[in-house]
Amino acid sequence: MRPAARKAASLGGERVFAWGLLAPCLFFVALFAFYPIARSMFLSLYRIILGLPRLGDPFVGLANYLRLAQDPEAMLALANTCLFVAASTLLELGLGLIIALLMDQAVRGRSLLRAALLIPWAIPTVVTSQMWRFIMSDNYGLLNLALFGGDVAAYRAWLADPFWALAAVILADVWKTSSFAGLIILAGLQTIPAELHEAARIDGAGALRRFIHVTLPALRPALALALLFRTMDAFRVFDLVFVMTQGGPGNATNVLQFYGYQKMFAEGFLGYGAAVAVLVFALVMAVSLVYLVFFRRALFREAA
Amino acid sequence: MRSRGQKAAFWLAAGLAGFFSLAPFLWFVITSLKSQGSVTAIPPTLLPEGSLHFYWSAFAGYGLLGFVLNSLLVAGLTTALTISIATLAAYALARLRLRGTGLVLGLLLAVGMFPQTSLAGPVWRILQALGWLNTYQGLVLPYVTLTLPLGVWILTTFFKELPRELEGAALIDGCNRWQALWRVILPLSAPGVFTAAILVFIYAWNEFFFALLIMSDRARQTLPVGIALFQGQYTMPWGEIAAASTVATLPLVAMVLLFQKRIVSGLSAGAIKG
Amino acid sequence: MNPFRAGLPWIAALLALALCLACGDSSPPAGGAERAGGRIVINFVTWKPNLPEVWQEALAGFHASHPGLAVRRQIGPHSSTAFHDLLTQKLKNRSREVDVFLMDVVWPPEFASAGWALPLDAYFPPRERAAFFPAAMEANTFAGKVYGAPFNIDTGMLFYRRDLLAARKWRPPETWPQLVEQARAVMADEAGAGRYFQGYAGQFKQYEGLVCDMLEFILSAGGRIMDPETGRCLLAEPRALKAVAFVREQLMGRVAPRGSLIYQEPESLALFVQGRALFLRSWPYAWQVSNDPQKSKVAGKVGMAPLPHFPGGQGRAALGGWQMGISAYSRHPEAAWAFIKYVTSRPVQKLFAIKGGRAPTRRDLYEDPEVLAAQPHLAEMGRSFAQAAARPRTPLYPALSRLLQVYFSRALCDPQADLPSLAQSACRQIDELTALSREARP
Repeated sequence: MRPAARKAASLGGERVFAWGLLAPCLFFVALFAFYPIARSMFLSLYRIILGLPRLGDPFVGLANYLRLAQDPEAMLALANTCLFVAASTLLELGLGLIIALLMDQAVRGRSLLRAALLIPWAIPTVVTSQMWRFIMSDNYGLLNLALFGGDVAAYRAWLADPFWALAAVILADVWKTSSFAGLIILAGLQTIPAELHEAARIDGAGALRRFIHVTLPALRPALALALLFRTMDAFRVFDLVFVMTQGGPGNATNVLQFYGYQKMFAEGFLGYGAAVAVLVFALVMAVSLVYLVFFRRALFREAA
Repeated sequence: MRSRGQKAAFWLAAGLAGFFSLAPFLWFVITSLKSQGSVTAIPPTLLPEGSLHFYWSAFAGYGLLGFVLNSLLVAGLTTALTISIATLAAYALARLRLRGTGLVLGLLLAVGMFPQTSLAGPVWRILQALGWLNTYQGLVLPYVTLTLPLGVWILTTFFKELPRELEGAALIDGCNRWQALWRVILPLSAPGVFTAAILVFIYAWNEFFFALLIMSDRARQTLPVGIALFQGQYTMPWGEIAAASTVATLPLVAMVLLFQKRIVSGLSAGAIKG
Repeated sequence: MNPFRAGLPWIAALLALALCLACGDSSPPAGGAERAGGRIVINFVTWKPNLPEVWQEALAGFHASHPGLAVRRQIGPHSSTAFHDLLTQKLKNRSREVDVFLMDVVWPPEFASAGWALPLDAYFPPRERAAFFPAAMEANTFAGKVYGAPFNIDTGMLFYRRDLLAARKWRPPETWPQLVEQARAVMADEAGAGRYFQGYAGQFKQYEGLVCDMLEFILSAGGRIMDPETGRCLLAEPRALKAVAFVREQLMGRVAPRGSLIYQEPESLALFVQGRALFLRSWPYAWQVSNDPQKSKVAGKVGMAPLPHFPGGQGRAALGGWQMGISAYSRHPEAAWAFIKYVTSRPVQKLFAIKGGRAPTRRDLYEDPEVLAAQPHLAEMGRSFAQAAARPRTPLYPALSRLLQVYFSRALCDPQADLPSLAQSACRQIDELTALSREARP
């Protein structure tokens, strides 16, 4: 065999070997992720109501999506979801930045500090939700005790108020995931060369000026990435609402994933529920594409 | 940090951040150690009596042990399977000549973003057809799929950092490709594998949505579902919930304390360097 | 130390544990074996019983009197919504692991229409049905066929602090405005003495219980949720609106804590048994709990009365309770029926009443001297059961209930909301549901 041919054969062998190694991974992803998404899109074009099998399951085209646009509860869930996403990601980014700066300091006890700040991230969301529900409860909640002491008459029922209930769900999410945003930002911090700070210091810049003119610009890629990851995740909020509020009061905390879950699994409207699920999917994809275009330079520079 | 003022500011901020990170959960731990009478006292009391009643009750009356074992089993199996599959895939993506690497990584990243409701219905049907609802494998398979992106990304990053010449040397020594992976690369990448395993385990331990749908049988439920459904029609057992939550969380706290460095590097590596 | 070395034993241990558990679990899951020791196995989906000893005794009796049959229980969560999700999932799955199941009182139409529940007419002749409370039998009937046998019965009741009312020489209130008046007076006295005290504890969280509580207010004002004939939504009619407005303006945040908007049964009961509320609207189980000195600070000071009504109206309590049905996919419907017949039989209902204090579904037990001697309070409850009002019956009940929950919750939590327009918006959606289920009529 000529050397070139042997090289080609070996390259071909390597490709086959590589795809062989990838096959199990691709199999799982195809079967349990891509097929279900496609199937959900397909189902969303039908009217399937489990409680009324006599209606059959007729093809209805885009009727489910048209209904969705006119369904006041779905639109409220959409608005709540967007509010939740915006408020929680912005707060998490801000707090994450602070956490990252704290974690980055070279002090004694740093690993203990890092571990302490990481613990909320590791706690199961269900536990987080039960915990905050208990802390916010009206008569025996820690929050009321902290704010009003023993004056029980002044205690407030936080989760009974539409505004505060949504705020509580956001707070629980911020408490849990700020440190995750912090870790991504920390990784960004560690890529900033110390010389940049030194140079600025020699130029006579104070700590705040150095932060604004050196640290922040260098952190743009990490911030963009943290924003991307947190946004994608926040759109899928479910556990917090399921445990803390069940969507109440007055649907003030109902979010799209919970609404879709109710429609599909509690009420048996399979086609309509699939349409809600596809809407969440489309939103997540659309927002991530917008981010990728918008932050292309920042993310790309980092990857390279 | 040079000046005393800066130092003071740092410790003040660190103290505040640490307090807000830990206090809410500590409150749950305190609650779990209270007595039956004081857990819903109005106004609440700050100090627990140190009673273990709720732990006993959670294990004896609410089947907490079963939830713990189910969670260990599901999270353990998921970790083992995901890491095996992800190692193979990441090796191919990071170290073999392959067209479409970027596409595969991009697709995996997208999978990590799929909303659960859009997967749940069809996944439920597949498992129904297989007769695997309410079985461990029925929950492990979707978990493997959902944790593969995380595992593959972290391991790909890790494999890329190993020197290029390693396999070449191994192949010249007469190893085949499989042996090169098994004997040379894998031992060197143990830290990366371990990091990925921790993160996958935490994910599987904490997952709620699929566990809620697939494990409807009380005897098969994992900790998060168990804890979410402790509440009965006529009872709101806060003490038992707090005790079960503490039990569910302590292993994770231990992992964070022991492996804090790996978690930090794993999460930020998967994110940034990928 | 090499972290891999540190982690390896840990992972290995986990795997070993996993394997052990997987092997230990190789026996077929509950229900897989159809026969055990030559007996036909009846799989019974139920929730964790409050009274395990009484159940043990009942089951032992069944096994003794039915040598060829064995009951295997599958325990679901003790919350109506979560149990519904579990059970319907098994039924959608056409699971052979289900023979007999418990149904909440609002489920039979859904289970019948979806084809999950077996019609019981062949087993359950009208003569036998007549022994049960009519409201409960009606709830088990859909499109002319019967799908369940009543296992237990519940209605909303008013519990009150007998000591506090007696000290003022008051009788328990007969109308809602009277209740508010009494509550205000006692609250003022208690607040004057420096005690935190509420007038009324009920269930107003956005969940199924809210529908029951509000149904009672609306019916006792002479209103209705839906027209039983046409299925048209009547929430925007003046009497229904008046009842909702009364709850919002007279109860919420005044004699009932605003926190009631997130209360289910346990939270409202907790307030009452801690001695912090004058009145409690709850189900009969609250009688035993609030009189148990281990669980209640007001044991022995509690009274029980039918729910009040609006002036000119009539008190109506929401019907609750659990029914026993047979899966359409069961392979042993005869055996399943034998079990249901046994559990709903007079002696077993009597056993649950005397030993468990559970309200029986057979009417004549409320005149049984042994039952009344053991549980005197059942006489009072029996009168309420005879008047109980069912929630709307539709195969789309979960969807209907959610629309109602959202409407009521929204109406109560926002004092400024425009009630008529909220009601009209809810009615538009409810009428759409009704139209759908009419379309499906044979």
